[in-house]
Amino acid sequence: MSVLDLPSNREEAWRWADLGGIAAAAALAPVARPDAQFLDLPGAKLLFVDGELDEGASELHRVTVGAIASSDHPLGRRAARGWTLRLDAQAIADPVQVVHVATRAENHLGAAIELGDDAVAQLVESFVGAGWSNRFTSVRLGRGARLSRAVRLTQAAGFVSLRDEIVLGEAASFVGTVLAAGDQGARVDAALTLAGEGGYAEFGGALLTRDRLQQECAVRVRHAEPNGQSHQLWRAVAADQSQASLAAAVEVARHAQKTDGEQSLRGLLLHRTATVNLKPELEIFADDVKCAHGATVGELDARALFYMESRGIPAARAKALLTHAFVADALDRIADETVRAAFAADAAAWLERTL
Amino acid sequence: MATKNAEAHAAVAKKYEWGFATDIEQDFAPKGLSEDTVRYISAKKNEPEWMLDWRLKAFRLWQTMQAPDWAKLNVPPIDYQDAYYYAEPKQKKTIASLDELDPEIRRTYEKLGIPIREQEVLAGVEGARKVAVDAVFDSVSVATTFREELKAAGVIFLSISEAIREYPDLVRKWLGKVVPQRDNYFATLNSAVFSDGTFVYVPEGVRCPMELSTYFRINAENTGQFERTLIVADKGAYVSYLEGCTAPMRDENQLHAAVVELVALDDAEIKYSTVQNWYPGDENGVGGIYNFVTKRALCQGRNSKVSWTQVETGSAITWKYPSCVLAGENSVGEFYSVAVTNNRQQADTGTKMIHLGKGSRSTIVSKGISAGRSDNTYRGLVRVAPTAEGVRNFTQCDSLLLSDQCGAHTVPYIEVRNPSAQIEHEATTSKISEDQLFYAMSRGLDAEAAVALIVNGFAREVLQQLPMEFAVEAQKLLGISLEGSVG
Amino acid sequence: MTMLKIDNLHAEIDGKPILKGLTLEVNAGEIHAIMGPNGAGKSTLGYVLGGRPGYEVTAGSVTFNGEDLLDKEPHERAAAGVFLGFQYPVEIPGVSNVQFLRESLNAQRAVRGEKPLSGAEFLKVARAQADALGLQQDMLKRPVNVGFSGGEKKRNEMVQMGIIDPIFAILDETDSGLDIDALRVVGDGINRIMRRPDKAVLLITHYQRLLDYVRPDRVHVLADGRITRSGGPELAQQLEREGYAEVAA
Repeated sequence: MSVLDLPSNREEAWRWADLGGIAAAAALAPVARPDAQFLDLPGAKLLFVDGELDEGASELHRVTVGAIASSDHPLGRRAARGWTLRLDAQAIADPVQVVHVATRAENHLGAAIELGDDAVAQLVESFVGAGWSNRFTSVRLGRGARLSRAVRLTQAAGFVSLRDEIVLGEAASFVGTVLAAGDQGARVDAALTLAGEGGYAEFGGALLTRDRLQQECAVRVRHAEPNGQSHQLWRAVAADQSQASLAAAVEVARHAQKTDGEQSLRGLLLHRTATVNLKPELEIFADDVKCAHGATVGELDARALFYMESRGIPAARAKALLTHAFVADALDRIADETVRAAFAADAAAWLERTL
Repeated sequence: MATKNAEAHAAVAKKYEWGFATDIEQDFAPKGLSEDTVRYISAKKNEPEWMLDWRLKAFRLWQTMQAPDWAKLNVPPIDYQDAYYYAEPKQKKTIASLDELDPEIRRTYEKLGIPIREQEVLAGVEGARKVAVDAVFDSVSVATTFREELKAAGVIFLSISEAIREYPDLVRKWLGKVVPQRDNYFATLNSAVFSDGTFVYVPEGVRCPMELSTYFRINAENTGQFERTLIVADKGAYVSYLEGCTAPMRDENQLHAAVVELVALDDAEIKYSTVQNWYPGDENGVGGIYNFVTKRALCQGRNSKVSWTQVETGSAITWKYPSCVLAGENSVGEFYSVAVTNNRQQADTGTKMIHLGKGSRSTIVSKGISAGRSDNTYRGLVRVAPTAEGVRNFTQCDSLLLSDQCGAHTVPYIEVRNPSAQIEHEATTSKISEDQLFYAMSRGLDAEAAVALIVNGFAREVLQQLPMEFAVEAQKLLGISLEGSVG
Repeated sequence: MTMLKIDNLHAEIDGKPILKGLTLEVNAGEIHAIMGPNGAGKSTLGYVLGGRPGYEVTAGSVTFNGEDLLDKEPHERAAAGVFLGFQYPVEIPGVSNVQFLRESLNAQRAVRGEKPLSGAEFLKVARAQADALGLQQDMLKRPVNVGFSGGEKKRNEMVQMGIIDPIFAILDETDSGLDIDALRVVGDGINRIMRRPDKAVLLITHYQRLLDYVRPDRVHVLADGRITRSGGPELAQQLEREGYAEVAA
């Protein structure tokens, strides 16, 4: 498959995708392998360098590595191998940490996570290095199973594309958070299906872009059964000539009554050369549902900035504080304190560099 | 008085001169849309050379284009080479008397309180033309009176064919400037074969002394499927224009592809109100109009303002996005829409607000009401250019679902390239609660009246934008459109 | 003359029996109070009489002025002269009180073969009723019950009753949410509008306090879906003193 074998921007779902950015990332020259740091958490630790497992630096625990079932998604289908986590009913796993290091060109890796009824797992992934890192993650949650997943993109260059296909069983819960705070382009492409009654899905995060980078999320949550709840909370901050795009859709199937689908998309432009695109989409086929979305774009509140400055806070710092508050909403969804603190620090570092 | 009557007769006679219903049937090969067709139309209208060239250019372009493929609209393929789509654009199938009319349409006329003779005109009853001449005779005189008054104010209000002949420079200056020929498939087709339409020019500083309406024109002149409207408001001018009428138009033309262009110069304001109630087809989705309209306004001047208000209840398929290009500093665009779909109707409608000018502002209020097995989509774009400092937009999209077999969709695009912009978008989806229905019924309203009342409440923000007499009819129309939608 | 006659009424919601053989007669010129503990079926009785969907009558009959009431749609009951005052009046966004009531009233008048009231005629009636019940005039123009306080909603119900001028009113917990002044105003309203030889009222209430202002001719205790005791006004006071458990048993 050639790197140029990508969809076109004329296709609705790829309107804001940075396809040139992917091609450019795949052509990057090799870089030195950066340090890979795991967070101080118990459980499995997986280090992948250019999509290959570094066994010496990894502790697999319940995770296995091998072939995975692939997807027909234009990006997702490129991953044929990957790691698998299978939990039986009732099982509670220690966190699984994955660090993805890119040192050159392109790498593709899959992951399959299957949780039995009432099983619980936590997943933390980090991307570092330079190149095009392409990931396909398939998640299947049994009745009452719970998965939380936090992903941070902090590559120094290149592009990260994520394709997630997540299916929730009855009363299952998925909480996903993505933070893009590096100097890479990004596409967070996800399809969540609430396939059982009473499912609960949160998918959100923050995209922080600068220079000429383009980052986007393209998330579709489908309520196939009644009484489900979904929340999509995204924040985008765009500086310089960058572009951040948030496309989030809620789809409610014919008989998925009593669905509660919520979207909150907010964009913040730091410079007049930056672009924020939003598309909060609703597609509703059931009549007894509560679906609301809010979307705003703007700049920081000038009155608040002045107020802080008049109390002695330098302008840049005041901007950083307000911007950080703007982003914090999206990261608050991370339940684990260690993880949340690490993500908040990445966001803070990005703001420090940018403002 | 005598003069007035003479003028009216002349106007009527003229109408037949232009009407190419019978002529075409005799002159023309029935099948195939070709350059000859375009030449024929142009010749019939005694158009100048530049106009023919303009049409031909559009036609050649159209031949290279592909019909749009819209995901949410289920559009059966249209055979453009079937002569009936263009060669008889003005021909309505005649019926001998109102008794032959679809009883549903008849009932709607009665509910709207339309007089019998006017019903006959709307329905295309054989011989009704004569009746129409008599019945509309007063209207013709009225129209003539209007014309005198408008003329005194300097307002030009003509059919576009007349305007092309009488005010070629004005028309040539603006035609296709807002909706370019290559804009989209249907606009290009319209540019090649547009049959007639309206031209309005309001000169500098003039506040048009009355609401302009196509009502008479549509009834009397039957402007048909490829309408072209061009309205220019010069500096400081104001005009309010009403399009359509609340009665369902019975029409054998399946495809309607109109183009409407509005231009507002410095400090000018145009208010454009539409009530669209073309035949939607029966409850099984048989028949009905495909309404593919391109409507766009250019707010070119400083402080210019264009306000679109639409009530869409008709057509089997509606595909329209009345839009504003807000080029002028501090220009204002507004879009107020109610779209009702019932049975098997499909509506895909919304707006585009393109902010280019500093301090430009826009407001979008869209109320979608879906019933039966219909689909109702709001599709909109708010774009802020890098140079557009201090832009404000507020968008509110509300959907009301009246059945569990219909669909309501909201597809808003927001593209912002200037940090000083303040863009807010809100959307809600709801249904009529059983509590509301029971409460209204316990006060004496039957189920349909209760639904109509609640729906009118839902659509109120939009309805109150309409001129008074239009608003009252539009309210009735909402109720009628939703009949049978509540079990 | 018997106006409302309820005979052995059984009704259920979602298959759960609530009314279990309720029998009651109300004559023209009378005000009856239905009292009872929470969950006894008081509101259900109001809704069944008003024809609310989901309340299924499984046995028994109700006639109103000799006609089968249960056979009628809710709006037909309204046209027949039955008014249901809601415990929780419903909000209808975008529809003004004036529009709502004028359409309601004219729909009822049409059924009765009376000619519709013009806007001006209607406004005159509406203003008079709003004044009498201390409801601000601008509340008439506001959307039905939207943003009204609890007390305002209840006054609004009474304004509606005054405008519609029914012959039989079922008032469900009309006193809840009212302070003492409002209670007096509402009580006076009920007396003014409804205390007439050709009209009757069924007051559904948990507390006796409204009965200080609207003196009932008969008081009934409703417990577990049946009338367990009936008496004069003194029964209400006894209930207040001794509680439902004692009296109803």
